[in-house]
Amino acid sequence: MSYRLQRLPSAHPGIAVLARLVAIVLALVIAGIALAFTGARPLALGVQVISSTFGSSFGLEDLGLLVTPLIFTGLAVALTQRIGIWNIGAEGQFYLGAFFATWLGTSIAGAPLPLMLVALFLAGALGGALWILIPTLARAYADVNELITTLLLNFVATLLVYYVSTGPWRDAKSNMLASTARIRYEVPEFWGIVHWGFPVAVLMALGVAALLAYTRWGYEVRIAGANPQAARYAGMPVRRRIIVVMLLSGAIAGVAGMFEVAGTVHRLQGGISNNFGYLGIMVAVLARGSALAVIPAAAMMAVILNAGIILQTQGITTSTVLAITGLVLFFTAIGDEAAHYRLVRTGAQPA
Amino acid sequence: MIDPSELSRRRFMQLGLNVGAAAGASMLLPGLVRPARAALPGISEEEAVIAFGHVGPITDEGWTWSHHQGLEAVKAAYPKAKYLEVESIPYSADATRTFRQFVSEGANILFSTSNYGDFFYDVANRAPDTAFLECDGRTLGDNLGWYYVAHWWPTFVVGVAAGALSKTGKLGYVASFPVPSVYSSTNAFLMGARTVNPNATLQAITINSWFDPQAATQAGTALIDNGCDFLFGIMDEAGYLQVAEQRGVWAAMWNTDIRRYGPNAYVSSIIVDFKQYYVEQVKARLEGKWAPAGTILKMGAGVDRDAWGAKVPADVAAKADAVRKDILDGKFNPFTGPIKDSTGAVRVKDGEAVDDAWLYNWDWSIEGVTGVGS
Repeated sequence: MSYRLQRLPSAHPGIAVLARLVAIVLALVIAGIALAFTGARPLALGVQVISSTFGSSFGLEDLGLLVTPLIFTGLAVALTQRIGIWNIGAEGQFYLGAFFATWLGTSIAGAPLPLMLVALFLAGALGGALWILIPTLARAYADVNELITTLLLNFVATLLVYYVSTGPWRDAKSNMLASTARIRYEVPEFWGIVHWGFPVAVLMALGVAALLAYTRWGYEVRIAGANPQAARYAGMPVRRRIIVVMLLSGAIAGVAGMFEVAGTVHRLQGGISNNFGYLGIMVAVLARGSALAVIPAAAMMAVILNAGIILQTQGITTSTVLAITGLVLFFTAIGDEAAHYRLVRTGAQPA
Repeated sequence: MIDPSELSRRRFMQLGLNVGAAAGASMLLPGLVRPARAALPGISEEEAVIAFGHVGPITDEGWTWSHHQGLEAVKAAYPKAKYLEVESIPYSADATRTFRQFVSEGANILFSTSNYGDFFYDVANRAPDTAFLECDGRTLGDNLGWYYVAHWWPTFVVGVAAGALSKTGKLGYVASFPVPSVYSSTNAFLMGARTVNPNATLQAITINSWFDPQAATQAGTALIDNGCDFLFGIMDEAGYLQVAEQRGVWAAMWNTDIRRYGPNAYVSSIIVDFKQYYVEQVKARLEGKWAPAGTILKMGAGVDRDAWGAKVPADVAAKADAVRKDILDGKFNPFTGPIKDSTGAVRVKDGEAVDDAWLYNWDWSIEGVTGVGS
């Protein structure tokens, strides 16, 4: 009697969750063994991470603040995935959203806060959408690979923000060195240090998920992603769907940048993106392209990143923390893939 | 553990301590001490938690390593206290998360060894029982102070040697960001060189990092290709010294004695030493005598030039050391007008001498310096 592995088109949800849990536990065990060899006490560290993260509202607030941009950028990437496109440029769109919001928020004085918040939101969305406009048109009309165009524009955006924050927009009056002036309008906090960007991010993920699942537009996007030929044959406007999806994705990443500058950091500076654009790709991969699953995937990513900070205060070096983070994500990816397989008995031979 | 509900939302009192505005006082800091309230209560050594947040890796053999030596000195003085240390903290909201984590683990005194600005103040604002000290900071609050080194004096001294050693008169500079510490460094260096070679110029390349050995190496190569035969910079590591060694030009460094990376090229280094300062601050905090202050460590007490490199001719070393002695004796202030900016406009009037508080906030390039911001 023999067995073979059979690949399933989609994993059973229960199996998928189980595979992910097993993967994380395995990764942590391996990291723990490695840490124990270097003289650290992995169990005590684990307890410290859990109690610091979940044991106080202090830690939960940090998590809430960290998860917000991850939901936005993860959603931006997951959305384009549905139509078969990789937006690697969420980093750049994030920067442009922050850039536009800063420009608006530092140049207008004395406007009522609610009005300005709406304006900042739109400015962030516009900045992100503008930054993906050229890759979008190139993809839609000239079939230029969006992986390259969106990626390369990240570097342009980063340098642009470094330039303005250390050059023309640098705050010469205050004590901040390489950053712009504090923007005049702040997104209010609703729980500790967590601002309203968090519920907006969750609502946006729910909204996009609903759009994809329950509307004709979403249906066409999914079909165009699964089989563009068939979609075209069925008379669906694939090009128009691509254009709108990419612009919307850029806008969502731009909104992430807007909330980071108006809600969390309050000043534009070179390092503001914190790699959220690239981490968004990881979040989308963990969410397997589902807008709804972006929320738990971003939460998991935030817990991992936050654990990294806690471990560092416990004397674990930055590179070790990076290695552990990588290990967890690597195992998770393997676990996700493994969940697609099941062991089947090959036909028993008659005696 | 701090109960977050106890963390008040007090805004900083605007103490108005913009050092620039306070300039005009004597060349002497520490002196800008204005305790706004009673000192934080003392704490026993056993219960004390002392935290350090670094901008780079402590293995950089430079800036962060020097601050880590400071931590080790504190540890030697107070071995029973608990120490928290995080390296390579980015200039982003991650910095806030790290500082908050220090506070939630009970830090009584928290040093950030670089300028984290609002990322630091936002945490200080909500943790009134922790003493916060920011290197290269400029803001004072009830529980917030700052410290830095008057590196412009030894930089001027090394600049004198550079003026004598450079044949082309073109000095290269590997810069991080266009911020006051870089402006004062490039300007002081060129002013020193011009006392020997009035036609010397300085070309800087800004690499947007304090620790990026690859970018620093590339910048050093580009500067030499451009005709520079003396490299200086404000890096936390030794990247461009190795380039200078390979290409047979001179180099001066920062932070520590790293001549072994380029024994022939090495001229000197701006050596920093925060040990005494850190021990004093922790001692004051433990004894309940800590008060927020701005402190600039002076040449000879926290910052100095390193012993001259093996290949530096004795007469050049002597010439530069004579200038150093005059500065230490208070006989000579090189930062005396007229000082022109890069557009040629006179910014410091003829005969006007500027002091540490002024130099600490220098944010424009002098005539002859190119490549640092606008």
